[in-house]
Amino acid sequence: MGIIHGEEMVLNIGPQHPATHGVLRLQVRTDGEVVSQITPYLGYLHRCFEKHCENVTYEQVIPFTDRCDYLASMTNNFGYVVAMEDLMEIKVNDRVEHIRVIMAELQRIASHLLGLGAFGLDIGAFTPFLHMLRDRERILDIFEMTCGARLLYNYMWVGGVSHDLPVGFVESTYRFLDYFEPKIDEFVNLLVHNKIFVERTADIGVMPPEVAINYGVGGPNLRASGLKWDLRRDDTYSIYNKFEFDIPVGEGGKGTVGDCWDRFYVRVLEMKESIKIVRQALASLPKDGDVHQSLPKKIRPPKGSIYSRTESPRGDLGYYIESDGTNIPYRLKMRSPAFTALSVIDEIAAGWLLSDVLAILGSLDIVLGEIDR
Amino acid sequence: MSKDQEKLIEDLVDKGLAGDMEPINAIEDRILRGKVKSALVKAKRAAKAQEKIENKDTKVEVLNNPQKTESTNAKISDMINKKFPGSLENEGNDKFIQLKPEHWFEISKWLRSEPSLFFDSLQCQTGVDIGDNDLEARYNFHSMKHGHYIEVRIAVPRNKAVIPSVEQIWRVADWFERETYDMLGIEFSGHRDLRRILLPDDWEGWPLRKDYQVQETYHGIVVPKMKEGWE
Repeated sequence: MGIIHGEEMVLNIGPQHPATHGVLRLQVRTDGEVVSQITPYLGYLHRCFEKHCENVTYEQVIPFTDRCDYLASMTNNFGYVVAMEDLMEIKVNDRVEHIRVIMAELQRIASHLLGLGAFGLDIGAFTPFLHMLRDRERILDIFEMTCGARLLYNYMWVGGVSHDLPVGFVESTYRFLDYFEPKIDEFVNLLVHNKIFVERTADIGVMPPEVAINYGVGGPNLRASGLKWDLRRDDTYSIYNKFEFDIPVGEGGKGTVGDCWDRFYVRVLEMKESIKIVRQALASLPKDGDVHQSLPKKIRPPKGSIYSRTESPRGDLGYYIESDGTNIPYRLKMRSPAFTALSVIDEIAAGWLLSDVLAILGSLDIVLGEIDR
Repeated sequence: MSKDQEKLIEDLVDKGLAGDMEPINAIEDRILRGKVKSALVKAKRAAKAQEKIENKDTKVEVLNNPQKTESTNAKISDMINKKFPGSLENEGNDKFIQLKPEHWFEISKWLRSEPSLFFDSLQCQTGVDIGDNDLEARYNFHSMKHGHYIEVRIAVPRNKAVIPSVEQIWRVADWFERETYDMLGIEFSGHRDLRRILLPDDWEGWPLRKDYQVQETYHGIVVPKMKEGWE
């Protein structure tokens, strides 16, 4: 590079570093505090997801998808079963669809809570993290009540879900929503308008929408750049078109559109929208309907391929499935949103101070399990 | 920041771009020096980016109305056939567009820039070992402006798997192509940084090819064999 001669230093952040959210190594070229180039080195958590998939049956893939994005397992299951049902032309009944949407939106809240908390932690705000984990715990309790697992659910199956809702699920979910809704305003007071937090995030790491699209960045990161784009609305799947919800976009409330603060605040607003969707889904949840009604006896999709995408808490989660007519996938590729979100870091973080790079990395909300697969 | 300071930074950045770093390093105030240096890095990167990415002028349009997405493989396949005769491998169909690798770079540039197509988003890029001695690269494109999508497939022989890279047109292809290279050994010519991405640099073989044999040892560590069936 040699931008500034004689003073440049190469610095490794990670692979073991609390700010990299997992095992990721960032090789950073710095001059004093100013970063001129960032090269991420991945693969420390590579578990051969795609190779494994070519050796197990279609049902057995679902637990692997859990372990890719371990903070949003429900939506990972969801994306896979949506792709499989498209490929096999299975139609599931209304009760299953409602259960899936409720689970996915609760998962979105849980994932955003952890992402926001960890972002605060990255730049030195310790207390909000504990508050958010406390509330996330309540969502995990609801999941545990439903399917017995707290993190890795294997809940959504091709053609249905593994268990019907337990007795008392609707009441406890309502109780959680009533409890949680005012808490969001508490977070807003605690962190969003906090002077120190704003100083660290506003105007930092601005990502213009052209850059975001060109780098394949999706989800909240893309919406924070001011683009109203949400797969739940624009390429709708399941029964999302039945529900009313807004799509929050970044407006540059404290600085420029697409800065770290916007990426944070969009996630806060999205939690409110998720609550709206869960409330509507609970209200219209059909009383009867067998959740195992459409389970195929054997999963043997016809020859062919499909690319299907859904909106995970981190962005566009895509599955490319190539079937050769047997019960084992011929090729399965997961297009993970965090993978593309990380690839943009060199573009938006170069030129900032080293401490800003960690803020930018935190604002992208990456999960290494999904990047390395 | 005051007007004077901005002007000072501008002057110093101009000097720095011309190669004269002395005045910048001589600044006493550390914060100001940091600001100048960061402005300099950004200016250099902006200059570089303009050289590299050709389609900067195509502005993104913000969507405000939901629209139904549709597959337009057959239509666009015909358009490609008219514009680039001889580049189609076989007749267009509903599911995908099968292309020859030769003109791929020109075609992709056209797909990105043609106003009526405007595929601004490369959704997914992957590779498949399709047997019969062939590997296939697959691209899923989507246009956020028009709401249509296509799938492009390019087959290449296993022993000479080279496809032009589209990394300079869609930056997201940078890592996607690196992953495809890592897993299937398809080489993307013109890629500026084609290294393995998930596996270590000195790993042998291409794991997602169907004829892949696991190496026996890696740096003295025995690599466990994949088991047949279940125990």
